[in-house]
Amino acid sequence: MTTMKALCAALALAAGALTIAACAQMKALPSLPESHPEALAVGQQVDCSECHEDQQKGTLKNINAFSHSRAFVKNHRFYAATDARLCETCHKVSFCADCHTNQVEMKPSVKWGNRPDREMPHRGDYLTMHKIEGKVDPASCYRCHGRGNNERCVACHK
Amino acid sequence: MKRTLCRVFSAVSLLGLPALAGAAETSVDSTTILRIEQRDNGSQKDTFLPATEFLSLDATRLADGNLSFHFYGWGRVDLIDKSFNDDRAAGSLTYGYLKYRFKQANADIRLGRQFIHDGINNEQVDGVSAHSDLPYGFGISAFGGANVHTARIFGENSDGKGDGIAGGRINYRLGGMLELGASGVYESKAPTLQQHTSGNHRLIGGDVWFSPHKVLEVMGHTTYNTETSHVAEHSYLINIKPVQHLVLTGEFNEQNDRSYQYSWAMFSGTALHATPNGPLVDAGDTSRNYGGRASYQIAKLVEISGDYKHYKRVAGNANRYGGDLKMGFFDNMLRAGGSYHYLDAGPGFAITPNPSGSYHEMRAWGMFDSKSFTGAVDFIDYLFKERVFNEKQAWEVLGSLGYHLTPQLFLSGDVSYGRNPDFSEETRGLVRLTYNTTFSTAGGKK
Ligand code: HEC
Ligand code: HEC
Ligand code: HEC
Ligand code: HEC
Ligand code: HEC
Repeated sequence: MTTMKALCAALALAAGALTIAACAQMKALPSLPESHPEALAVGQQVDCSECHEDQQKGTLKNINAFSHSRAFVKNHRFYAATDARLCETCHKVSFCADCHTNQVEMKPSVKWGNRPDREMPHRGDYLTMHKIEGKVDPASCYRCHGRGNNERCVACHK
Repeated sequence: MKRTLCRVFSAVSLLGLPALAGAAETSVDSTTILRIEQRDNGSQKDTFLPATEFLSLDATRLADGNLSFHFYGWGRVDLIDKSFNDDRAAGSLTYGYLKYRFKQANADIRLGRQFIHDGINNEQVDGVSAHSDLPYGFGISAFGGANVHTARIFGENSDGKGDGIAGGRINYRLGGMLELGASGVYESKAPTLQQHTSGNHRLIGGDVWFSPHKVLEVMGHTTYNTETSHVAEHSYLINIKPVQHLVLTGEFNEQNDRSYQYSWAMFSGTALHATPNGPLVDAGDTSRNYGGRASYQIAKLVEISGDYKHYKRVAGNANRYGGDLKMGFFDNMLRAGGSYHYLDAGPGFAITPNPSGSYHEMRAWGMFDSKSFTGAVDFIDYLFKERVFNEKQAWEVLGSLGYHLTPQLFLSGDVSYGRNPDFSEETRGLVRLTYNTTFSTAGGKK
């Protein structure tokens, strides 16, 4: 029942957004490309400035702000929160779902054991280490294991 | 409007016949992994042989060209003993949704199982979401539907989440300089649990991104839990780029334990909250951490970074510092890296009954990646300040070899061996067969 209500509310909002979207003014607003026009090499820092000037089109942020430095990769949650559509021009959602998912039984670092250059969480013996890390910064665990992907935890956390 | 809706509906009705769509493009990624794991904890030796298949499918340019379908899921069967919890076979639909993209205003509608990352909202729903930019720099998005339930908590018959969920965000952007957002999420009533406590997941919050000049960026969010009437989290990041290729970041996070973890039912009974009365009783505890990172790209394929973070919780204070190095040679065909970190953590963070949670983390890796062959080695060692279950360290070494049978078909195998306090010995072998209809994982055709 509540599900229905939530669904109806969302549908109403969506319809509202669409109605607004239909107005003539919207035609002037540009969209990001469906996919990034240039294929990029995997396995290295993506430096947007190699190909992009500090251009700012419409409300697009400075493209170089998204250069994948190590700092960006570590802090990507701040960027994903406001620019998920930009990420999607290059990344399939399954790319994110390697690390972010509701339920999986394999650590990302095992699935991608052939890619030690990637920033996969929980390398090595995490069953031991998590007993320390989970106390130091539980909020960071909540981001991924709070509302999903906690089937594994049930076995011990009763 | 009417025409748009008609287009959407006719597009959806065409779904059953994607083959009819003129320029439809479909890409399939499949990864099949067969693992052989042996764990020896001294008294008992276990062998596991699970086979897992990850499958993703993306069909784009369907119908009038603006409709697409995205699917990702996995399944596992155990060829011998049960490898995971109680089931010999398991699987999950990670996402599966239809997306209709409009040519203007970054507008789209998604229908089906999907992830939402929007402002303060990070959810997975079976439902609908829509987004559009609006004139004068505004933007709006909304989502709603059924929560995707996960594991049942032990001794309960639910995962502690309510059934329905809805939320949205409005934002305002000023050129490439400022973005302000307001978002919220409202979940229907959380079920009452027997032995755990679970609160309703209802939050509102604001986010900001401010970059007065390209050398400076400030961003972050604050969330407020309307159930506890208390701020749940402040999380902010500042980036300074004084010269090209140098990034200095400062980060500040503060959570009110009760308000932030209010709907984390599974852990509501644990020491997580560092209060004997359980999380929903004590309202005052906060966790705070702040720190910084400097990362510098010395050359196109060489990056070094150093970081420091201070953690402050009711259970005590901790510090972590260290650095990373990553290098590429021969047009990145050869890559190598290493890192060292030290966590200095007192008894409050230690594994019971240790007097210290401090440890050194050391890692070194290298890999080779050409059009035909790949190879990798990875070594990681956690060296404890105080022995954990009589072990001084937990280490693991992994080796991997791969061969591209065809440009699409990639076969690889990993072997790893480790010693640690949990299983005194852990040996793992893995065979991986990857099939990608698109070769590059990012950019262009994705
Ligand atoms: C190898 C070169 C290259 C790199 C690196 C690169 N791009 Fe691009 N990008 C292009 C080309 C070519 C285009 C199409 C021409 C254009 O619009 O500038 C493009 C277009 C875009 C567009 C669409 C612009 C518009 O106004 O329609 C966006 C957004 C974008 N890139 C973002 C990024 C981001 C973010 C990064 C870094 C993570 C990045 N690009 C890295 C080559 C590159
Ligand atoms: C212009 C294309 C482009 C855009 C836009 C882009 N990325 Fe990436 N990203 C890449 C490439 C290429 C890689 C390297 C993938 C690899 O090595 O397999 C990557 C890697 C990553 C990684 C993983 C790093 C690792 O070591 O495991 C994360 C996380 C990431 N991107 C997040 C994001 C987020 C979040 C956004 C949106 C704010 C985004 N990216 C936008 C191209 C892009
Ligand atoms: C290599 C693993 C990895 C990949 C790939 C990855 N992430 Fe993350 N993500 C993380 C980690 C680790 C964190 C937690 C960081 C922290 O606590 O600061 C995180 C946090 C986040 C958060 C914050 C969640 C919350 O509840 O606060 C968002 C949003 C996010 N990532 C989005 C994305 C998107 C979008 C992509 C794909 C473009 C992506 N991530 C790809 C590892 C990854
Ligand atoms: C970016 C998302 C992400 C973050 C952040 C994250 N995890 Fe995980 N974690 C995963 C994924 C994905 C798995 C693999 C799922 C599995 O094996 O059940 C996993 C697995 C685990 C496992 C099982 C490890 C094993 O060897 O089987 C533990 C324990 C764990 N996480 C604890 C934590 C703790 C504690 C934190 C916080 C310090 C944390 N995680 C933060 C994504 C994350
Ligand atoms: C093999 C059993 C086991 C599994 C599986 C497991 N944990 Fe733990 N975890 C423990 C033990 C034991 C402790 C307590 C260590 C201590 O106090 O010495 C702990 C502690 C924690 C803590 C620190 C706070 C506390 O309650 O003490 C967090 C957070 C945590 N685990 C999260 C997770 C998450 C998230 C997962 C699933 C992804 C998970 N754990 C899976 C055994 C496990």
